[in-house]
Amino acid sequence: MLELDLEVARDGFTLEVALSLAKGPTALVGPNGAGKSTLLRAILGALPVRRGRIVLDEQTLLDTERGTSVPTEERRVAWVPQEYALFPHLTVVENVAFGVPGLAGRARADALIGQLGLDPLRSRLPDALSGGERQKVALARALATEPRVLLLDEPLAALDADTRETTRAFLAETLHRLAIPSLVVTHEMRDVVALGGPVVLLEAGRVRSTGALDLFRASPPSDFARSLVTRIVGGH
Amino acid sequence: MLVVLAVPLLALVLSTSPGDLLDGLRHPLALSALRLSLLTTTTSFALTVLLGTPLAWWMARHPGPAERVAATLVQLPIVVPPAVSGLALLLAFGRRGLLGPLLEGAGWTLPFTTAAVVLAELFVSAPFYIQSAAAAFRRLDEDLLWAARSLGASPMRRFFRVVLPLSRPGVVTGAALSWARALGEFGATLMFAGNLQGRTQTLPLAIYSAMETDLRPAKALSIVLVAVALAVLGVLGRGTVLEAVRARA
Repeated sequence: MLELDLEVARDGFTLEVALSLAKGPTALVGPNGAGKSTLLRAILGALPVRRGRIVLDEQTLLDTERGTSVPTEERRVAWVPQEYALFPHLTVVENVAFGVPGLAGRARADALIGQLGLDPLRSRLPDALSGGERQKVALARALATEPRVLLLDEPLAALDADTRETTRAFLAETLHRLAIPSLVVTHEMRDVVALGGPVVLLEAGRVRSTGALDLFRASPPSDFARSLVTRIVGGH
Repeated sequence: MLVVLAVPLLALVLSTSPGDLLDGLRHPLALSALRLSLLTTTTSFALTVLLGTPLAWWMARHPGPAERVAATLVQLPIVVPPAVSGLALLLAFGRRGLLGPLLEGAGWTLPFTTAAVVLAELFVSAPFYIQSAAAAFRRLDEDLLWAARSLGASPMRRFFRVVLPLSRPGVVTGAALSWARALGEFGATLMFAGNLQGRTQTLPLAIYSAMETDLRPAKALSIVLVAVALAVLGVLGRGTVLEAVRARA
């Protein structure tokens, strides 16, 4: 369980969010500029939080009142940004093993590479990979560290339509199999449906609604939500 | 223009026979200067990398008023005439300089010592490294650093596994330019460290001294310096030097 109560101020924009995320995937939707990526970065510890708390399975990662802040490198919060941020000078296997040095880590990285079907690509550099392959490498790299939370920022946005279809199913299945909370930012209703978990709607830095997918679909809580539900392919 | 650039170097090479070159290099003045230059530039280079890298990193990561002040301080030695640098060093670290009494109290006298040569070289050459390294660090994609942190990488691991490999061209260019500048340092050294054979007389100073007595060691040492310069250009590749100059402009 990941519990958040955060206030982030950035360039005249304020994000105020109180949320509880259960194990399994949660979709995070909202218009551009609603603060979705900001929220992910705040959970990661990459942004100063003005006020608030982050509690993960009873461990306090952040508590501004008590002056507690676990550094990013000790949070075990995995983050896959939009462009994946793969290390361009490292091969696939080096990227995946980055967070788990040592022999045991290498074995773990090898196992993940096998599971995700990346074996033939292990010696390639990220530049020589397709969008879908990069996404898998980024996911494998994140999973190799056995994170306690997974944050994915528009994981399918950089993919072409065909790759997106196959990767979507794979991603949803993987996230369901992991017994950790994951937060997935998306602009597409298809992704939300495939994930199947609760939906958090963020608008202008506030949580407009949070609840089950069926409820979100049956009675969209805002104009944006309505347009998202009725659109087959979400726009920007 | 090319004629102006090429003829002096050509004259230097053409006026020196292989016999002259060997004789010149065997000259006691040449040998001690070579040894001293190697020692001082190696030391100043090590100090440049050791002290300059954290500064470059801080400048790249903390833009703001303090960083702008630091950037100006780093740029100044590049544009200030070396003679001014020499005088400034003397006024700072000389016996009657700003920090002179303090150093003397600790039992150190800097001016006219080999340490003064190192300090002069550090002062004039470190800025080339710091600027180039800071520019390279600034170009890094911040998301890569956050990704590395999220994967549990310590600051050292992030620096050596991510930052340094990705900034290598800029860092290597800066290091080579800085070392070459230290090797060629003349004015500040002459004023702050003097021209004492075996102690403060580096290659450029030895060339200057030899001019008054025997031209052969002067020519031989000059050819050595030109060869070193060519080697530095070879290491960098012509494009990188131009890029480095552009990045600084």
